[in-house]
Amino acid sequence: CGFRLRGSNGEANLPFKTMVLGFGDTSPLGAELRRNIRANGTAVITDRKLADASLDVLSETREKVILSLNSAGRVREFTLYYKFRFQVVDNTGKQLLAPTDIILKREISFNESAVLAKEAEEGLLYRDMQSDLVQQILRRLAALKPAT
Amino acid sequence: QSAPPPRPAKVNDREAPAEVSAEKMTGRPDRELELDSKVEIVRGTTTVTSDHAKYRIVEDEIEATGNVRMKRIDDIYTGDKLKLNMDAGEGFVTNPTYRLERNNGQGKATRIDFESEDRATVVDGTYSTCEGPNPDWYLKSGTLNLDTARDIGLAKSTVVYFKGVPILAAPAMSFPLSDARKSGVLPPTIGATNRGGLEVTVPYYFNIAPNRDLTLYPKVIAQRGLQLGAWARYLDPMYAGETKIEGLLKDKLTGTDRWALSSIHTQTLRPGLTLNWNINAASDDDYPTDFSRTLTTATQRLLLRDLSLTYGAAYWSATARTTNYQVLQDPVAPIARPYDRLPQLTLTTARPDVAGFDLAADADLTRFWHPTLQRGDRLFVNPKVSYPIIEPGFFITPKLAFHATRYQLDNTVTGVNGAPSRALPTASLDGGMVFERDTSLLGKALTQTLEPRLFYVYTPYRDQSLLPNFDSALADLSFTQLFSENRFVGNDRISDANQVTAAVTSRFLEASGEERARIAIGQRYYFSEQRVTLGPLANDSRSDLLLSANGRLNQALSAETNLQYSQTQHVLNRANIGVRYQPAPMRVLNLQYRQDLPNNLEKSFDVSGQWPFAQRWYGVGRVNYSLTTSKVAEGLLGVEYKADCWVFRIVGQRTPTSTLQATSALYFQLELNGLSKLGSNPLQALRASVPGYQNINQSNTNRP
Repeated sequence: CGFRLRGSNGEANLPFKTMVLGFGDTSPLGAELRRNIRANGTAVITDRKLADASLDVLSETREKVILSLNSAGRVREFTLYYKFRFQVVDNTGKQLLAPTDIILKREISFNESAVLAKEAEEGLLYRDMQSDLVQQILRRLAALKPAT
Repeated sequence: QSAPPPRPAKVNDREAPAEVSAEKMTGRPDRELELDSKVEIVRGTTTVTSDHAKYRIVEDEIEATGNVRMKRIDDIYTGDKLKLNMDAGEGFVTNPTYRLERNNGQGKATRIDFESEDRATVVDGTYSTCEGPNPDWYLKSGTLNLDTARDIGLAKSTVVYFKGVPILAAPAMSFPLSDARKSGVLPPTIGATNRGGLEVTVPYYFNIAPNRDLTLYPKVIAQRGLQLGAWARYLDPMYAGETKIEGLLKDKLTGTDRWALSSIHTQTLRPGLTLNWNINAASDDDYPTDFSRTLTTATQRLLLRDLSLTYGAAYWSATARTTNYQVLQDPVAPIARPYDRLPQLTLTTARPDVAGFDLAADADLTRFWHPTLQRGDRLFVNPKVSYPIIEPGFFITPKLAFHATRYQLDNTVTGVNGAPSRALPTASLDGGMVFERDTSLLGKALTQTLEPRLFYVYTPYRDQSLLPNFDSALADLSFTQLFSENRFVGNDRISDANQVTAAVTSRFLEASGEERARIAIGQRYYFSEQRVTLGPLANDSRSDLLLSANGRLNQALSAETNLQYSQTQHVLNRANIGVRYQPAPMRVLNLQYRQDLPNNLEKSFDVSGQWPFAQRWYGVGRVNYSLTTSKVAEGLLGVEYKADCWVFRIVGQRTPTSTLQATSALYFQLELNGLSKLGSNPLQALRASVPGYQNINQSNTNRP
C-alpha cells in the first residue's frame, strides 16, 4: 500500500546539524523537544551565532474555556487549549520559518464534586498535548530548507 | 492592533525658504509681499493656497483670504481667512472645515486656533469620522483640542448627535485620532434583563501604558442601583496579571451589598522563584443568577482561591500551595464541597538522559481539610525510571515506577487504622512505529502516516477500599487516558492493571509539516479483573472503543468527530460530532451534536453562526438545545448593521443560571467609529457563543 518506515530514506532527519531552542531552563516543553531533536541527530547548543537554526518561542499559552452548560446553568465541559507560536531563524537572522501557530485542544468533562481530580486530569491532558506539540514542531522543522 | 505608521518628521529648519507663487505679486521683496490670484505658499510640510495673501517675510507670517486651503503634513483645513506664523505654526482660520488624514476625522467650526504644527483648538465646531456634509453622527463641542502628535482629541462641553438627534452629553470627552489604543469612552450598552430591569453601561478605557490598562464600567441597573466595575491588566517582565472587581452597595432588591472579585497574578520574585495567585470570590450564592452577564467566571459555582510559591531549577522544582473553594450553592441541586488543601507541598525532580535513562521522582505532602468529611494528611513519593529508545521510525519506552503512600487521618473511630499506607510498583512498556506514504487529497499532495502503538501496563492489586478519597475520580476515557498507567486521576486510588492498549493513528500532513487531518482508533484490553474501583464494580475484558477523526477538508470546511462505543453493552457512550463552515471572514456556521452518558450529560445540539443576510446586515445566533430535557439551554440571537462610520447591534440572550432560573436579556449598542478604537467587542457574549465570530467593525486579522 506504499507505506514505508519513517526515516528509512533519510528524509525524516532535521535539515540542521545544530540548533538553539529558545526555551527557559525549566520549560517542560523545551526539555521534551530537546530530547526529540537530539534523537534526530541534531545537536542542541546555546550560541545562536554558531547554530544552523534557532527556534524562537513567541508565545506559549494555556487557556480553559467553557464548552457547555447543562440546562441548570452548570458548567459540564471545558475545552483546554495549548497555543504555541514560534519562528525559526538562521545565524544571520534570516527567517527560515515565519511566525507559526500550533493550536491543540482537548475536551474535559466537569463535575463540581470531583474538582480536585479534574485538576489532575487537566494536568494529564496538558502533558499529552505537550507531547503532541513536540511531534508537530518536529514535523515543521523537518520540512524546512536551510538557507543556502 | 498594529501601530499607526510614523508621521513624516517635522521640518524644523528655520533657514528653509518659503516658496511663493501667484499670478500677481507686488510689494517690497525683502519685507512684505502682496499676492493675488492662484496664490501658493509652501514651507516645509505646510502648503497654503488662496485667492489673496499678504506675506510678511521678516515675521514669516501670512494672512490669506478667499478660498483658503491649508495642508499641514497630511491634514487639510479650509476657511475664508487664515493668519499663520509659518515658523511657529501659530495662527487661526475663520469659518473653517478640517479633515485629519489618519482617521478621517472631519468637521467644521467658527474658528480654529493653531497653537503649533501639531496642536489646534476647534472653537464651536463639529467632529465626525463620517464622509460628506451631512454626517450620520457628529460631536458638537464648545472647544475641541486636536493633538495630532499625541493622537488625542479632547472635546469640552460636548453633545453627540446621531441622525440629528442628541444622544449623549458630556462636560469633557477624549477620543483617539488614530488606530492606536488611547484612553476614551467605549461604546455604551443599553439593555434590559429579567433579573434587574433596564441597565445602561458606559465603559471608560484608560490606556495607562503600552503594557497596562484599566477599564471602568459603571452600570446603572434600574431595579438594583449603581454597580461599579473595574478591570485592570498589566504585563511586565517580572510580573503580570489582571484583576476584575465589581460591586453594588445596598442592592435595592435584596438590601445587601453585592460584589464579585477575580484576580490572577504571576510574579518572579527572584530567578527561579515565582509567586502565583488566582483568587475568586462573590458576595453570595445568588450572585451568578442575578449578575450572570458581568463576570464570565460567575457562571461557575465553584470559585477557586489558589496561592502558590514555586522554586524551579533545571532538574527539580518545589511548590508550596494552598487552595480553597467558595461554593455558590444551588439549593435545588446542592454541590458537594471539595476538600481544601492547607497546604500542599510538592517536590518534582526529573533528570532526562542519564546514560540513556530518564529519571524522575515526585513527592507530595498535603493536608486535606473539610468541615464535615474525614480530614487527614497524605504523603506520597513516586519515583520513575524509563529508558526511551527514539528513532524517526519507531520508539520503545520501558518504564518502572513505584508509588508509596501514607495517610495520617484525624479522629478515626476506634478499630479503624488511623495511619493506613499503600505501596505499589508499576511496570510498563510503550512502543510505536511510524510509516509514511505520499498521497493526495482533493488534488493536493500530502504525506499520510500510519502510526500503530501498543502500551502494556502491569500493576499488582492492593485493597484500597478503606483508604480515604480526597482527590481521586475515574478519568474520562480518552486517547490520553488510554496511554496512562492509572485508570484514575488523583493519588488516592491506583488501579490494578494487567492490560494492553492498542491504537492506530493516521495523519495527513502538508508539505510544510502542518497537520491537515487525523484519524485514530484505540482500545484497551484487560487481562484480569479490575478490582480497584470507585463506584460500581468493573470486570470488562476491554474498554470502550475510541474513534476520532478531525481535520480540514478545504479552506472553508472542517469537521471533528469523537466517539466512544461500548461493545459489551452496544451503546454509544459518548459522541461529539461537529462541523464548521467558514468560507470567508464574518461568515461562519457551526453545527455540533454532543452526548456523554458516563457523565450524565444531556444530549444536545448546538447550532451557531454569523452570516450577512443583506447588504450591511449581519445575523448572529446560537441555539443549544437539550434533547434530554427538550429545552433550549442557551440561546442568543443578534442583528448587526454596519454603516460606513458606525455599527448598531441588538442582541437577545437566554442563559440558564441555576436549576430553576434563567437570565433573559436584551442589549442594544451603538458604536461610533473613531470615538473608541479597541480590539474587543464589549458584547463578549457574541464571541463566547459563536466560535469563529468576527467583529464586523474590524475588517480582517480578528481570528478566533
